[in-house]
Amino acid sequence: MDGPEILRVSGLTKVFGHGDAAVRAVDGVALNVCGGELVLIMGPSGSGKTTLLTMIGGLLRPTSGSVVIEGLDITTLSEARLAPVRRKSVGFIFQSFNLWDSLTVLENVELPLNIAGIRGREARQRAQSLLTDRGLESRLSFRTRDLSGGEKQRVSIARALANEPRLLLADEPTANLDSKHGRDVMHLLHDVAKKGDRAVMVVSHDHRIREVADRVLWLEDGRFKDMGRLVTDPVCGMSVDVDESRASLRHGEQTYYFCSKGCSWEFQEEPEVFLRKGVSSSGAG
Amino acid sequence: MVPVARRNLFSEKGRFAISVAGVAFAVLLILIVLALYRGFSRSGQTFKELSGDLWVVQQGTTDPFHSLSLLDSERIASVRETPGVASAIPVLSRQMEFEAGGGRPSARFMALDVSSSTPLSDEMRESYIPAPGRIVIDRTLSRKTGLDTGDTVVISGEALVIDHVRSAGGESFQQFVFMNFSDAQRVYGVHDIVNYAMVIVSPGADPRNVAAAISDRDAGVSVFTADGFAKSVRKEINESFLPIITILLAIGFVVGAAVVGLTIYTATIERSREYGVMKAVGGSPSFLYHIVLSQSAMLTASGFVVGLGAAVGVARLAAELVPDFATDFQPGDVASVLAAAGLMALVASFVPVRRINGIDPAVVLRA
Repeated sequence: MDGPEILRVSGLTKVFGHGDAAVRAVDGVALNVCGGELVLIMGPSGSGKTTLLTMIGGLLRPTSGSVVIEGLDITTLSEARLAPVRRKSVGFIFQSFNLWDSLTVLENVELPLNIAGIRGREARQRAQSLLTDRGLESRLSFRTRDLSGGEKQRVSIARALANEPRLLLADEPTANLDSKHGRDVMHLLHDVAKKGDRAVMVVSHDHRIREVADRVLWLEDGRFKDMGRLVTDPVCGMSVDVDESRASLRHGEQTYYFCSKGCSWEFQEEPEVFLRKGVSSSGAG
Repeated sequence: MVPVARRNLFSEKGRFAISVAGVAFAVLLILIVLALYRGFSRSGQTFKELSGDLWVVQQGTTDPFHSLSLLDSERIASVRETPGVASAIPVLSRQMEFEAGGGRPSARFMALDVSSSTPLSDEMRESYIPAPGRIVIDRTLSRKTGLDTGDTVVISGEALVIDHVRSAGGESFQQFVFMNFSDAQRVYGVHDIVNYAMVIVSPGADPRNVAAAISDRDAGVSVFTADGFAKSVRKEINESFLPIITILLAIGFVVGAAVVGLTIYTATIERSREYGVMKAVGGSPSFLYHIVLSQSAMLTASGFVVGLGAAVGVARLAAELVPDFATDFQPGDVASVLAAAGLMALVASFVPVRRINGIDPAVVLRA
């Protein structure tokens, strides 16, 4: 990407527990994200995606490594100095929206501005403008519980942008949405990255987000894997590392890789049934 | 500024109402107990309302209600001759039953032997020195017995007519009836003996020096200032009621603090995730403390206003039903209760604030 570098992650590691019970949730991750770039991080459950996002957002201290946001290494900061970074430099979008139920839609966006010291009419106008830009002008005085899932996520995006952060972190932003609203949110995130020259990092299982992502990274066992070595099991649809697949079969001109022996047996019985499903990228030549 | 505290409180209206009622109950309890104590503390006030600077009693007399004092005319004469004494008024005083409206209530009957030359104002004479055959009763006695101006009461076979009801006066433990001195002598069956001498000191004389001179002159008497005589009545009240009142006040405070504390704590627990989000988006600890303290303060202030109104209402209702229920709401006490309520809010916020400190902002990224 051509934009300025906003996020630089180096050797980021998080170990939970000690001794034999120690688990390396994130293991030496390195990553750079520039302005205008939308990076999608995918991976199986328990692969360390959310832990990685939590550390990048300054909500969890890493065991080692560094997270540099706009030139500032946040891993060395005290909790008191981390709060202003989260306030100004990072915006969060959550799977379960995490809106403040007792507040109105407008107040949900106004509050982060208040927290950053912007109050009164200025805060209200800025919040109003952010919500209007996202098609929520008729919902300003609504309670958040009265909104649809898609509307809630749009409020959440407006709130994340309130203090104009350069880095936006989204954790499964489409997981609780139907396909139409999920697609809307994807395009909103794309616009946020491109038009605002922001770095947007999305953690998701949702393959549709690939459409708008500039880069897709695969995280497994706390480490990024080469997407070029990943294929899809034609039976169950899981992503499988070619080098670590449990079984492989040659059919026609292609080799197919499976997550388990069971899947390979099923495929062997009726390969055409699974191939008709049209799972793309399932085989290697 | 987004009113987060107000929104949080009012989002659960039922719980807010119950919590306000709890705090109001605590404030009501504290205010009523204090007002009752102040009402009790008016006991003996009648001795201050009379114009005497000093009260001379028989040596060893502890107070006017529980101790008998007898002074003969020689002692009264000795008091009158003491330098600095402008006037020494003989006073008869006795708790007595009387017949009125088919019942036999009792009251403290008092009579002052006042001549035309005694330096007493017309107002004092009108209020406390009725003509022969007439008496003056206080407001509380009137309400307790239903007696009013023009009614007749019978005391030791002597029929006396109520001249008027004093608008002032009225004590919790003691009601006063003022009668003519000659009537009192006849009713009590005494001629040369009185109970006290009420002394008015000469202009410019120091009452303390005059009291010392009276005591020096006659070792058989003791001298109280008017304030000291009134206080001697309250001494018993203070000794017996103050510990109870202190305990009731402490209970009221604890109940109030517990109600506010539990409400705010529950609200904090329920909104842990929301506080976590505030932390995640950069909310400083002081910003979050401000929300919790504001919630406590609003709850306590609402409870205080409702409690104050309820206390005044309860006091009025109780006074209608029980005339002895003498309450006195003093601005200083109300201000003190307001300050205590503020302290209550502060104490009640302590645990929720600790809870907020412990909230991990990373909780927001857990599904």
